[in-house]
Amino acid sequence: MYEFTYIKPGSLPEASDLLTRHEGAKPLSGGMTLIPTLKQRLSQPSHLVDLTGLAALKGIALVEGRLEIGAATRHVEVATSTVVRESLPALAALAAGIGDPQVRNRGTMGGSVANNDPAADYPSAVLGLAATVHTDRRSIAADDFFQGMFATALEPGELITRISFPLPERAAYAKFPHPASGYAMTGVFIAVTGGVVRVAVTGAGPGVFRWTDAEAALQASFSPAAIAGLEVDATDLNADIHAPAAYRANLVRVMALRALETLQTSSKGQ
Amino acid sequence: MTFSRLEDRRLVTGAGRYVSDWNFPGQLHAAFLRADRAHARIVSINTEAARAMPGVRVVLTAADTAAAGFRSLPCAAPIPGKGGSALLKPERPVLAGDVVRFVGECVACVVAETAIAAQDAVEAIIVEYEDLPVAMTAEAAVAPGAPQLHPGIPGNVAIEFETGDPAAVAAAFEGAAHVVSLDLHNQRVVGSPMEPKGCLARHDASTGDYFVHVCTQGTTGMRAQLVATTGVPDEHVHIVAEDVGGGFGLRFNAYPEYSAIMLAARLAGAPVRWVASRSEVFLSDEHARGVTSRGEVALDAEGHFLAFRFNFLNDMGAYIAPTGPVVAVLSIRACLAGVYRVPAAVANVRLALTNSVPMAAYRGAGRPVISYMIERLVDQAATDLGIDPVELRRRNLIPTAAMPWKTVNGLGYDSGDFPAVLDKALGLSDWNGFSARRAEAGARGMLRGIGIATFIESTGGGASPDEVEARFGDHGEITIHAVSHSHGQSHETAYAELLASVLGLPRERFRLRNGDPGVRLAGNPTGGSRTMHGVGSALRVLADDIIAKGRELAARALEAASADIEFDNGVFRIAGTDRSVSLDALIERHAAGPERVFDTRSSARTGSTFPNGCHVAEVEIDPATGVVSIERYTAVDDAGNLLNPTIVAGQMHGAIVQGAGQVLGEHAIYDLETGQFLTGSFMDYAMPKAVNVHGLTIADHPVPTPTNLLGVKGVGEAGVTGSLPALMNAILAALRPVGVTHFDMPATPARVWGAVGAARAGDGRRFAHA
Repeated sequence: MYEFTYIKPGSLPEASDLLTRHEGAKPLSGGMTLIPTLKQRLSQPSHLVDLTGLAALKGIALVEGRLEIGAATRHVEVATSTVVRESLPALAALAAGIGDPQVRNRGTMGGSVANNDPAADYPSAVLGLAATVHTDRRSIAADDFFQGMFATALEPGELITRISFPLPERAAYAKFPHPASGYAMTGVFIAVTGGVVRVAVTGAGPGVFRWTDAEAALQASFSPAAIAGLEVDATDLNADIHAPAAYRANLVRVMALRALETLQTSSKGQ
Repeated sequence: MTFSRLEDRRLVTGAGRYVSDWNFPGQLHAAFLRADRAHARIVSINTEAARAMPGVRVVLTAADTAAAGFRSLPCAAPIPGKGGSALLKPERPVLAGDVVRFVGECVACVVAETAIAAQDAVEAIIVEYEDLPVAMTAEAAVAPGAPQLHPGIPGNVAIEFETGDPAAVAAAFEGAAHVVSLDLHNQRVVGSPMEPKGCLARHDASTGDYFVHVCTQGTTGMRAQLVATTGVPDEHVHIVAEDVGGGFGLRFNAYPEYSAIMLAARLAGAPVRWVASRSEVFLSDEHARGVTSRGEVALDAEGHFLAFRFNFLNDMGAYIAPTGPVVAVLSIRACLAGVYRVPAAVANVRLALTNSVPMAAYRGAGRPVISYMIERLVDQAATDLGIDPVELRRRNLIPTAAMPWKTVNGLGYDSGDFPAVLDKALGLSDWNGFSARRAEAGARGMLRGIGIATFIESTGGGASPDEVEARFGDHGEITIHAVSHSHGQSHETAYAELLASVLGLPRERFRLRNGDPGVRLAGNPTGGSRTMHGVGSALRVLADDIIAKGRELAARALEAASADIEFDNGVFRIAGTDRSVSLDALIERHAAGPERVFDTRSSARTGSTFPNGCHVAEVEIDPATGVVSIERYTAVDDAGNLLNPTIVAGQMHGAIVQGAGQVLGEHAIYDLETGQFLTGSFMDYAMPKAVNVHGLTIADHPVPTPTNLLGVKGVGEAGVTGSLPALMNAILAALRPVGVTHFDMPATPARVWGAVGAARAGDGRRFAHA
């Protein structure tokens, strides 16, 4: 770790101001990615602006038929929230499967979405549910927010304040954890919202993406049989020492099928 | 709360004392600059900027270790090579001066007032390199035209061993009805003890004494290696260690960092501490296995084994670690024919140097290499000949009545009851009920397989006798000193219970103190599953010596002849009378006196023992994802007499799962072109997890060995020696019905899925290494 200045601002404008004023400043939420990179000296911020004390970033609420979750809400809070479990159980189940208990008790939704790790779980839910990402400056649709590996629409110093999820008729998430890291080697989030099917895939490619062939097939017939014969194009998928792209292409279909299986055993998914 | 193991309260409440728990006034911190490339000539090292940085006290490079008279790290071959050839020893410097030969090799050491200042200064050192071509695998290193790693080691082969009778084997193969061969790769793995390696050195300028706090499996080997490297006389090197957080073989040798820290402490005139980061553990702890092998078996028409022929090519890394050649050859020599009655066998072992971390001992130390080779070959023979794998084994097992058995290369097994061990394992695993379980799994779309391994081990004989010492304290406590260090084996409990049972004293009276620099004993580090037969035997002698002293004192107290005094359950009694005195009372009366009459040093010398077992594994494979799930695992072991079954079960569980780790995913991978290490964290290196293993059944069939006082054979490593072949045989059994004919570890989901797909497309060998 290199030296840095730690600041815990008292308000969102103050945090925003600090991040704008200091070019080398980085926001710190749960720190589940940032702190390991600091420890390995892979990152050298001048300032760490700790967002965890900001009340404006907290809270889980149902507002006018949408689930609003503050950016600094920890995974464990999403996983165990009665509101989330009743209104969007697939999201609670997804949160319960992130990392390990230590990660779930530190890591936050906003931090994960802003970081946009290509193997993170939350981006698939945000994209699959066509959620809206609210920042201290504007509102960004999920389709515009994610821009590839670790890249998002956020401008320098811009902070996610909350994420607003429409409530789907049905939704489910299935992931294949990486044997070493536990990250999603492939995770598939399927949702039917307002009659529209979306299928979002994380882990398999350089960033979260929609599997549009499956969306079309499921829109026509919402059943495992509709996608069982679909081939996933492996061309742009990740290949590394752990698995070739073809394996991840296979997992996209298998995890989508498993997500559908969970939907068949419960009306709202889990 | 009560603990069944005496050390557990200390360890689980955070009261253990590891290297990073030691602190001394004025202590400085070290950091190492490591090679960022696999093979390069060092053109220049500029430390000027680093030396000028705030808080920096010492910067060491090869020039400084040369000035201090440092020599190459030691290495040796345990037996002569083929035709009496000697080991070609690579020079291994503490800090590389001319050439770096693996990513992570130490180039410079910085000592500063804080760990951060030391790290900052490391980044300010400028090294100019001239890159050299790399040889990243043993096959590549021995190929014609390969880059040469060391002058004087042509073809990168440090030594070639041969054991057995090649002429007899050749004759047997000529007359054989069947010959079955199999190529296997036993992949490179990282040991990953929980405690990263570390070292804290203090130097007393007035006496010339060094106190070196290190993670160690035993002080004698550690001290000897530091003496050999630094040239500091033996009497001035004092190893200090209390708790050690795991070893598995990788805490046997003195890493180059330790010698550098000693020199730094002397030059700085202050204690210097260094504790490796987990990244440094991955990059510079010894790795293990990494063996490419070919096995052949000759059989007669009835399926009797006529001969085994094995060839092993070992990736030794860039240098020869002190334990490397031992691991490579001794277990193969001792276990050459396994548990089988085979009239001829031969093994050839070549040690190749590659641009990677040196290879050394790791749980099993060669036995998981030979057992894996033999047991997979036997299963291959069963498949090729259409004989049931259990029946083929049964036909060839050494009969119990033939014990003691002389093996084909002139060594021998003292005891064993292999057929009974096999039968017990078949019964406990419900081997005969497997087909129903397979059918049920098949109905769920799962591939189910059962696999068996009947194997033997050879434990460490020890390079010296094992000495132990009892010191009686003023408050009734009895402190036991021994060399072999406990780094998870629960010596504290096992020793106390052994002494308590013989002496008739409560086990809580005994304390174990390893690594006390004030008590120098002869002995052996913990390794080769030998501690209970070696140190355990010495403790049995110690107890008898204490009783003998007590008997004399009792005779005096009871005014009787010592020949008339009986000892039973802690009480001395004049035979046939009710006149008695307890050992405890005698200790209270005499132990604290100036003569310390009860303080006793005893020793024993033991040879190798031959633990053996039969393990049966049952797995399910999801063909859609390639995930392998271990559904049942039955281990029946003959470890001789068991002193504490709970500790034995713990050792079995740990070793079986360690084997499962290698089978299911552990794999240390270097980039073949650049030599960079690709699996340098737990994000990429797949350790086994609790969810990977279900339903372990552990049972024993003890046949006490007559070769030591306790009849124990040792148990620390049998789990991994059995689980590698048993699990892989089960996985192959599950995959054969879909057309997979060969498969090498690791059985990662992607590789298993790939093998199923390739087999369905007509290629059953796609995921074989060779």
